[in-house]
Amino acid sequence: MRLGHGELRALLPHRYPMLLLDRVDSVEPGVSLEAVKAVTGCEPCYRGIAEGQGPDRYAYPASLLIESFGQGAAVLWLLSRGPGTTGLPMFTAARDCALLRPVYPGDVIRHRVRLEQVVHGAAFATGSSWVGTDQVAEFGSMMAVVRPADAVAERKR
Amino acid sequence: MSERDTHVAELREIVAEVLELEPEEVADTADFVEEYEADSLRAIEILARIEKKYKVEIPQAELNEMRSLKAVHEVVARHAGWQD
Repeated sequence: MRLGHGELRALLPHRYPMLLLDRVDSVEPGVSLEAVKAVTGCEPCYRGIAEGQGPDRYAYPASLLIESFGQGAAVLWLLSRGPGTTGLPMFTAARDCALLRPVYPGDVIRHRVRLEQVVHGAAFATGSSWVGTDQVAEFGSMMAVVRPADAVAERKR
Repeated sequence: MSERDTHVAELREIVAEVLELEPEEVADTADFVEEYEADSLRAIEILARIEKKYKVEIPQAELNEMRSLKAVHEVVARHAGWQD
């Protein structure tokens, strides 16, 4: 199963500038997912950087990389639930995560997410993020809990 | 080490990791919430790790009881059928 950007918007409550996934290339519900996030120089995180800064200044922020992976995990969990299940995943904890190399504008990140465990309204995912053949991050354990949708997202009018 | 000691040591390790403490900092009867400022999310994380490690199912209703290492051991022993 492949999900375009519109389908991601239908699943996740996130919107610009916090919708940090562009596409899902494959999903096996309940098991794994591969998602894509393209980083560009137009991202709001690069706005307002003074002229003449070194390349390090343009490293994609770790917080956003982790959030982007987490959104991949959220999509996987949402697609793994039984029909009629309500509520949205809320990211609560990351453990044993390692950032292995910086990501820069022009890089296309591929998140490989595995759903490890779903228990007591909580889900645990693991995985890694890649740019080409370079691993850029390792995620030992990402935890999310489910919360009522109207507590997380603004209701559609 | 008796089987009971092994189980308690393993559980202490899990609790310490989730509460971000050293295992020796986790006292047997210290209340997770009062002593270590744990919240309900940490409790679910501890429960989830235990279920995964020992392949047991523990009803969520038991969460309220699992407030110290000693209490966690008792609950898990009951559901995992340990003769500790």
